[in-house]
Amino acid sequence: MKPDGKVVLLGDMNVGKTSLLHRYMERRFQDTVSTVGGAFYLKQWGPHNISIWDTAGREQFHGLGSMYCRGAAAVILTYDVTNLQSMVELEDRFLALTDSASPDCLFIVAGNKVDLTDACAFLPESEDKQIEKPPNSFISTKVKKQVHVNDAIAFYRKILKYKMLDEVNAPAAEKMCFETSAKTGYNVDHLFETIFEMVVPVILQQKAEGLPQTVDLNNCKTAKNTHSGCCR
Amino acid sequence: MENEDPGLPCKGGMDLPEQKRGLDPTDRYGDESCSVSEKQEEAPAAPNNGPLNMVVDKVNGQEELREAPEELSDKDVSDSTSIDNTWEDSSEFRRQMVIGDGPSGEEEAVIQSRLATYRDEDVTAESWRAHRKHVFILSEAGKPIYSRYGNEEALSSTMGVMMALVSFIQSGDNSIRSIYSDDHKLVFVQQGPLVLVSVSHTLQSEQQLRQELLYVYDQIISMLTQASITRIFERKKNYDLRRLLTGSEKILDRLLNLVESDPCFLLGAVRCLPLPASLRDSLGTLLQKAITPNLVFSILVARSQLVTTVQEKTVIEDCRLEPTDLHLLLNLIGATSAFQTGEIWTPICLPRFNPDCYFYAYISYLDSECTVCLILLSTDKDSFYSVSDCKKRIEEGMRTQNYLQALSSGLKSPSYSVGLVGVPDLRHFMYKPLDIPDNYRQLPQFTSPELEGPYCSENERHRLFDLYHYLHGRIHSTSRPLRLIYHVAEKETLLAWVTSKFELYTCFNPLVTKAGAINVLTKLLRWIKKEEDRLFIRYPPKYSTTPNPGKGSRAPRTDGTENGFFGGGH
Ligand SMILES: Nc1nc2c(ncn2[C@@H]2O[C@H](COP(=O)(O)OP(=O)(O)O)[C@@H](O)[C@H]2O)c(=O)[nH]1
Ligand SMILES: [Mg+2]
Repeated sequence: MKPDGKVVLLGDMNVGKTSLLHRYMERRFQDTVSTVGGAFYLKQWGPHNISIWDTAGREQFHGLGSMYCRGAAAVILTYDVTNLQSMVELEDRFLALTDSASPDCLFIVAGNKVDLTDACAFLPESEDKQIEKPPNSFISTKVKKQVHVNDAIAFYRKILKYKMLDEVNAPAAEKMCFETSAKTGYNVDHLFETIFEMVVPVILQQKAEGLPQTVDLNNCKTAKNTHSGCCR
Repeated sequence: MENEDPGLPCKGGMDLPEQKRGLDPTDRYGDESCSVSEKQEEAPAAPNNGPLNMVVDKVNGQEELREAPEELSDKDVSDSTSIDNTWEDSSEFRRQMVIGDGPSGEEEAVIQSRLATYRDEDVTAESWRAHRKHVFILSEAGKPIYSRYGNEEALSSTMGVMMALVSFIQSGDNSIRSIYSDDHKLVFVQQGPLVLVSVSHTLQSEQQLRQELLYVYDQIISMLTQASITRIFERKKNYDLRRLLTGSEKILDRLLNLVESDPCFLLGAVRCLPLPASLRDSLGTLLQKAITPNLVFSILVARSQLVTTVQEKTVIEDCRLEPTDLHLLLNLIGATSAFQTGEIWTPICLPRFNPDCYFYAYISYLDSECTVCLILLSTDKDSFYSVSDCKKRIEEGMRTQNYLQALSSGLKSPSYSVGLVGVPDLRHFMYKPLDIPDNYRQLPQFTSPELEGPYCSENERHRLFDLYHYLHGRIHSTSRPLRLIYHVAEKETLLAWVTSKFELYTCFNPLVTKAGAINVLTKLLRWIKKEEDRLFIRYPPKYSTTPNPGKGSRAPRTDGTENGFFGGGH
C-alpha cells in the first residue's frame, strides 16, 4: 500500500505541529515530546492514501526538511500566533526547504495556539478543561496575539512570489491561511480536510501524468552521491 | 565572580596526570590503564566500611582455583577475607548515602514535568547545591552548553571558572582530570571541543563518573556526530552548540537519570526480556526474513528490554552492535517518541560503532500501548518506504502467529520477581554472564529482578545503587581490583563476585550470615543456570544477508555528515 500524495508539516519547534496532527488523527490533545527527524502517518481519504509527515522543527534536523518535503503535494507552514519569531523563522528557515516539493505543491499557512490569545474568548473549550480551571485563570493565561491573520496572508503572498506563481492562478490567500488550536480542536479538522480536498486533484493529475506517486524518497537514489545537492 | 559561583567545592587536592588520558571510545570498565588519579581516589573515596566488611584482594586468588561457582564455600570467603580486612567507622558512609533526591525512572510523564522545573531552578538556592550530582557541558571557548539542573545561562560564570581551570592546566601541557574536596568529586572529561564536568557527592568512583560523562558525550554524538561537531567548532570557535541541541535537553536529562538507576550502564550490558527460547527464536527468524537492501540492524525491544536483534552479515563481520549504542538509542527513543503513533524516520549515529556517520533509524511501536518497539537501522536515507514495508511484514508475521500476545504476557510486570529464585534472604541481584555462547558476536547481557520490598522508594533505590556502584568500583579498581567483596552495610549485606564466567552483585537481608549468603549464592547460580535459556539470548539469530548490503559497513555512507544537516543557519 503505497501512499498517493504527501502532506508535510513544517515550522519551528514548539509551534504545535505534532499536537495538531495528534488532534486530527487521535482526536485528542496530550502532552507531546519533541519530535526527532520526521514521523510518518497514513490517512485514508476516500480512495486515496495520503501520507502526512510531521517534522522536527529544531535546527538539529534542519537539513532534513527538504528530504521530507520531496515531491510533497501540500506543505503546511505552521507558526505560533503568540510568537512572532515563529513566523519570522518560516520565512527565513523553512520556506527554502519546500524547493524539493512537487511543482504544483499547495501552500497552507497555519497559526496555532489561538486558544492562548484574548482574541478568541469565544472558542469552545472542552468541558473537562473548564472544570479544572481555577476561577480567574481565564484572564491570567491569555496573552497578546503577536501574529495576525493579515500577517499570515502577507506571508502567503510572499510564498507565491518566492515560487514565482501568479496570484491569479493560485488559491486565494484568504482560503489558505488558518488559525487553529490543537488544544481545543478549533479549526483543526477544517484545516486538514480542506487540504485533503485540495490535494486530491493534485494526486489525480500526478497519476494521470504518470509521475511517481510514492513520494519519492525512493526516487532519489541517483542523487545520493551528490550529497549536498540532495538534501539542501 | 565569587558571588555568582554557586559554591563549587575545589579546596581538595587537584591531580594532574602527566599524560592526558586516551579518549578511546571502546574504553570500558576493567581494562583501564593505571593513572595517577586512580591512586588518589582510594584515599578520599574509600567509604568507611562496616565493621564486618571484608575485602578480598585479587592477590589472594582463591576463587581462581574454583572454576565451578557451586564450589564456593564459607571457608573460601573467610580464608580469603582474612588477608585484607578494612575496619572503619561506618557512620560517614551512611550519611553520604542518604543525601540527595534525584528523579527516579518511574513515570515518564512525571519525570518530564519535574525536569521542566529543574531547568527553572534557582542556581543560588541551597537546594540547587544539594543535588547528588551536577553535570555541566561547555565548549572549549567557555560557552555553556548544558547543565543538568538550573538554566545553563545562569551558570555561565560558573562554567567560565571551570573552563579557566581547564585551560590554565592545559597551558602547562597537562590536563585536569579531577578535583577532590571533603565531600565532592569533580571529574573533567575533554572530548574534542567539548568539556564535560561532573560534580558529585555520590559514592561513585572517578572512573564511573568519567564513564557517565562519556555516555553523555556519546549521546550528543548520537545526535550530531563527532565529525560535524569538530567541523562546526573548526569553523567557529565560539559557536553556540545549544542551537543544535535545543529540544534535546530532555534526552540528556533522561540519560543522567538512567545511568544512576539502570544497571545496564554500569555493567555495560543489555537487559533481555525473559522469554521462552522458542518464542525468541521465532521472532528472530521473523526479523531475519523481513529485510531490504541496506538494512543492517533489526532490533525488537519491549519496555526497553531487548527481545532479539538481527544484524546484516557484512556488518557483523566487522564488529557487533555495542551495548552502549543500544542504550543510547533506547534512551533517545524513550525521551522523544514515547506514545508516538506514527512511524519515525530519523538520522542517528551509533557512536561506538562509528562516531562520524549516520544511520537512518526507522522506529515504530507494534502495539497500541507503545510497549513493543521495532527499530530498523538502514544506511540508506531514501529507504523509508522499503524499510516501512519490512515492518509491515514483521507485523503481519507477528499477527498470524499471535506473537504479540505471547510477548505481552512477558510484559505484565517490568521484570521478574526475585521471589522466583525461592530464597527468602535474597533481596536483589545483578548477574552478567561472561561465558555466553558465541560470546564475541554477542551483545553482553545481564539479568536482574525488579526492585521490591525496601527498595520501592526513590531514596532507597538510590541507596542500593550507590552500594552497587561502590562495589563495582572496588571490583574494577585499576590500582587494586578485587574478585570478591562481602560487604555489610547498615540495612543490607552485599556480596560482589567476579569470576571468568560471570560478574555477580547480590543484596541480602542484613541478618544473613556469611554461610547463609554463600548458600543463597549457590541456589541463585543454580536457578540462573536453569533459567538461562529464558533470561538470555543464548543463541543469537543467524546474520541476515540483504540482497545488496552496504559495503564497508563500518563506515555506512559517508554522506552522514555531509547530507545537508545544519545546512541552513550557518
Ligand atoms: N495552548 C496551546 N498549547 C499548544 C497548542 N498546540 C501545542 N501546544 C503546546 O505547545 C508545545 C509544543 O507542541 P508540539 O506539538 O510538540 O510542537 P512541535 O514541536 O511543533 O511539534 C506543547 O507543550 C503543546 O502542549 C495549542 O493549540 N494551544
Ligand atoms: Mg513535534
